[in-house]
Amino acid sequence: MLKLEHNDIIVLLGSIGGILILSRIFAELGKKIKMPSVMGEILLGIILGPTVFGSLLPDFCNTIFPVTGATKIAMDGITSLAVVMLLFVAGMEVQLQIMLKQGKVAAYTSITSMVIPFVLGFSAVWFFPSMFTITSEKIIYALFFGIAMAVSALPVITRILMDLNLFKTKIGMVILASAIFVDLIGWILFSFVLSMMGHKGEINNIGFTIFMIIGFGLFMLIIGRYVINKTLPWIQQKLSWPGGVLSISLGLCFLGAAFTQYIGLHAILGAFIVGIAFGDSVHLQDREREIIYQFVTNIFAPLFFISIGLRINFIDNFDFPLVLLVFFLAVACKVFGAALGGYMGGLTKRESLAVGFGLNARGAMEIILGTLALNVGLIDNKMFVALVVMALITSMMSAPLIKRFID
Amino acid sequence: MDLSKLKKRAAFPFETIAVAVSFSPRCLSVLVEAKYLSDILNATLILIHIGKKTAEKELYLDNLMSQVEMDESRYRVIWMEGDPVETILKLCKLNIVDLLIIGALETENVIKFYLGSIARTICRKAKCSVLLLINPLEHPKKYKRIVVNGVENKKTIHTIGATFYFAKCFKIKDVAIVNEINMPGLSMVIADDSTAPEAKEIKKNFNNEMEECIQSIIQKYDTTGINVSNKSVKGKPGYAISKYAKDRKSDLLIINSPDTHLNLLDRIFTHDIEYILAHLPCNLLIIHSRV
Repeated sequence: MLKLEHNDIIVLLGSIGGILILSRIFAELGKKIKMPSVMGEILLGIILGPTVFGSLLPDFCNTIFPVTGATKIAMDGITSLAVVMLLFVAGMEVQLQIMLKQGKVAAYTSITSMVIPFVLGFSAVWFFPSMFTITSEKIIYALFFGIAMAVSALPVITRILMDLNLFKTKIGMVILASAIFVDLIGWILFSFVLSMMGHKGEINNIGFTIFMIIGFGLFMLIIGRYVINKTLPWIQQKLSWPGGVLSISLGLCFLGAAFTQYIGLHAILGAFIVGIAFGDSVHLQDREREIIYQFVTNIFAPLFFISIGLRINFIDNFDFPLVLLVFFLAVACKVFGAALGGYMGGLTKRESLAVGFGLNARGAMEIILGTLALNVGLIDNKMFVALVVMALITSMMSAPLIKRFID
Repeated sequence: MDLSKLKKRAAFPFETIAVAVSFSPRCLSVLVEAKYLSDILNATLILIHIGKKTAEKELYLDNLMSQVEMDESRYRVIWMEGDPVETILKLCKLNIVDLLIIGALETENVIKFYLGSIARTICRKAKCSVLLLINPLEHPKKYKRIVVNGVENKKTIHTIGATFYFAKCFKIKDVAIVNEINMPGLSMVIADDSTAPEAKEIKKNFNNEMEECIQSIIQKYDTTGINVSNKSVKGKPGYAISKYAKDRKSDLLIINSPDTHLNLLDRIFTHDIEYILAHLPCNLLIIHSRV
């Protein structure tokens, strides 16, 4: 049986310790140039991994970050936990009510910013497959690419809106409501695509998968949400604080993830939907919300984002034409889709474009999506690198472009 | 009736008050409260009953009104059959009612809430201001504390204006304007990207912005004799203000009318006014500003 030996434990603990300290330094450096902390963490992974450090000192790099053996398995386990928790906190920010109350503009923008990039992304793969390095079934790859074109990153968008003082404006709320909608639909669709990978696209299984996704979603969002909301005050009053809320919330997150994995869907869907149900409770205090985020984003998220750079050589897998194609498609589809919705909903041309560029920020969500797709063999390293680069650039270009159209 | 008078009609003063008469055990108390309000606001009172007009009912109502001690010239009764919600709303519109008074339960059972009771459905659809009385008394108690929403919305200025008008008429000294802070993603950004002083600064800036906004509204009205406080509370809109009003033991909560048409989905994924209607913290006045 494979188990962690004395040296493996030292390597594992040492690498985790080093990663956490270095990631904090890189995240802080990133902040100085207005780069989201996740980008600093990815950059650190690239430096520590085969791209830089691995090329210069391959043996030393392999000792600290082994690519096989018990340490690698343990590290993979930790990053799997991290991605489940990241989806849980992403779900906690999905406020269905915001979508409901924003009215016509948000409804149009939400739909077009999801549908147009998805359809165009899907069509690009479907009609021009030679432009992509398709490693899985064409339809599954096309569906994934459509989702990758549609996804937005709520945390990055929130930061941008705050920095530009647009949070409480109509445009800010339209961007937020649409990002929430895209997040919700995008992750549900993605877990469907992942389960199709498992079922190799068989029709009977697809029907069952759709039924299970809808069933689980409705159950958690109506009954689960109600039960959590009624139980939370008891947890807050009777259990130690904030430990009680933290352990119960993450416990529910893992149970939800385990359940969806068990029924043939991906674990992320369970975590995401439980996150929505938990985050929606009116009793969840801001302080508790912040503690859960602190725990996930400062301990587990760096381990996950750095692990991305550790596994891939970004220089070897940097396919310039593919990077350009993915970047331009992503920007064109998203900006056009979102701006069209805004315009149809009654915004001016400039406001619509500001909304388009606001929703164009892909950030961490795109990278998580790409990593999960890479893990199951849906995409190859080259497409993954292209998605990471696109996520990086779209996140950084968003703020100045919004500003340009708002001013 | 000239319906054009309704358009852009100011949210206050309340010149015409209607009260829904249901002949329930609390009917007398509701009528007493309605008379009390119409006396102080110097308004005309209309009693609306949806149902068949019978001699028995007429006699009962006369008897109630004699107990209320209201002069017959100061009120009129409208009897009409039909769907209670639609008919009441239609009558309010035709009679240019400024304020509709209805007795309501503090909390309704789950099924009734989701299906929509008459009082709550009227609140969601009304094109005039609505006052829900959860505990009408035969000897009305003087209101002491009012909580009003300060949410960023074009209706808020009218709602706050109506609050000051109400406070002045009833000589209420304590008015709290409450702003609810709820920003999706904010906690995530603070956890991810901000130092402790930065996080404090972000929150402080939000509070300051909201306070400035409310101050600019307050300055537009004469508030002499009223102690106006400006509060920011964290939480979901609707729920946070409702909890604040309850914790503060307010007599009256005043809010804007809903911005959109509310349906069952809004009750399942509860938000804003639906949180308040699910569990009324005190009497509720919904100001329809007709903007």
